[in-house]
Amino acid sequence: MNLTYTLHDFWRQVRAFENMFFIAILPAALFIMFGVTQGWSDESSGHGNVSAYLMVSMAAYGAVTATTSIAGSAAVERMQGWGRQLAMTPMGTGGYAATKVIVAMTVAVVPVIIVYLAGVLTNSVMDDVWRWFATAGIVIACSVVFALYGLAAGLLFRSDGAVSAATGLLVVLAFLGNVFMPLSGSLLDFARFTPLYGIVGLARYPITEGWVVSVDGAAEQDSVWMLLANVGVWAVIFAAIALFAARKATARK
Amino acid sequence: MHAVNDVNLRIERGEIVALLGPNGAGKTTLLDLALGMNDPGEGTVAVFGHSPREAVSRGLVGAVQQTGGLLADLSVRETVVMIASLYREHMPVDEALERAGAASFVKRKIAKCSGGQQQRVRFALALLPEPDLLILDEPTAGMDVQARQEFWDTMRAEAREGRTVVFATHYLQEAEDFAQRVVLLDRGAVHHDGTVDSFRSASTHQTVSFDWPRTTPLPDLPGVTHLDWKGARVTAQTHDSDQLARVLLTETPANELEISRGGLEEAFTALVNRSSEH
Repeated sequence: MNLTYTLHDFWRQVRAFENMFFIAILPAALFIMFGVTQGWSDESSGHGNVSAYLMVSMAAYGAVTATTSIAGSAAVERMQGWGRQLAMTPMGTGGYAATKVIVAMTVAVVPVIIVYLAGVLTNSVMDDVWRWFATAGIVIACSVVFALYGLAAGLLFRSDGAVSAATGLLVVLAFLGNVFMPLSGSLLDFARFTPLYGIVGLARYPITEGWVVSVDGAAEQDSVWMLLANVGVWAVIFAAIALFAARKATARK
Repeated sequence: MHAVNDVNLRIERGEIVALLGPNGAGKTTLLDLALGMNDPGEGTVAVFGHSPREAVSRGLVGAVQQTGGLLADLSVRETVVMIASLYREHMPVDEALERAGAASFVKRKIAKCSGGQQQRVRFALALLPEPDLLILDEPTAGMDVQARQEFWDTMRAEAREGRTVVFATHYLQEAEDFAQRVVLLDRGAVHHDGTVDSFRSASTHQTVSFDWPRTTPLPDLPGVTHLDWKGARVTAQTHDSDQLARVLLTETPANELEISRGGLEEAFTALVNRSSEH
């Protein structure tokens, strides 16, 4: 791990406007549209109001967008010649991976800070201060799973276009994962098997204690174990695909 | 099918060696072996007595690689600073930029640099560990004539510092102007290994030209493969210039005789053509 290299790489990611638009600005805008200015904002969602619930959701969406795009582009840039420059230095694959994970996690903090700041300045309320930090911490920690997802996409398709597509697909996964608007019925049953459901469910847990916010008022509660299982299983799936793609990439060389 | 096969080369410290050959001759593959980017299926590669990877990680080797990519959204200076930070010991960034001739555009984004400027940035990166051996794979690809000239001036200065330089090229002129030793590679095998002069004389193509009276028909001349008669001057290609000259001077009215070995260009073409006949 090298501080100068990591800081330069971090700054390079943050100053790319087209990156940061989807990572930070879009989630903040979505939060203000759906979380702040709607009639349901001040209603309770457990240990906080609906505004806080949506704040956590949008921060999670921004954070996974960050880890997906940075891990994905890392795979692509390494295969496209920059890897050969690095191969001439003492930095090995492990050092490169560690650097990228830290950059991805640090960039994932940006949307959390921006969306939470928007929440603090408007009408997000939680019962205790620790719940703010707990939800933010879970969002950032869990977003690592999507670094594997981005990595798999980058290694499999080896192009920036594929990484953008994988990042774009997150919008769909977010809808299916009960991130944006509350699902119900069979759609909610299906949502529990999609990869963003577990992450966002865990992140909201300090507010909801697993109770699912629903439009029709039906009371359902997810156990923390079910949410952890969702995150764990998808982490394994993404890791397996990334490993398979990495093996294939080296074999071709 | 092997990209390179049965290649035995020993390069001494301080040598400047050109690896010459047509596209697909195996130049890049050979350099990749020396850089540890590829492992040989059989045989060994040693760089200063170490394995290639060990030599590279000790900073003994710097390389300008044909396929070495740069990150388009970084500036020139950022690129060099980032790579420099990975070495425990390295040349000061400003010095590397200066020596590579990149000091005048350090703030420019890589994406906005010309091909020649990007090559200079790659060269600055190669200089960072102050390597004893510089490996350059077609370093002047994409440069115009002036940029190429300037680049080789820079390289001469580095060579004077006692660095060993091995470069691949398909420009004959570069090999002739810059290298002390030329290794001609063709379809994965060493075709010729020696000084530029020995390379030139390995060519059996010779040219004999002479003045000839317009009104007299040319007799049959021995060993001539190609004849060109322009005005008063006749130019003949042969494999045996001695025999032809002897006949011309003793038995014919030819005068103003001139014998030349043919340029490196002809030698190169002849060698490569001969190998493709086999």
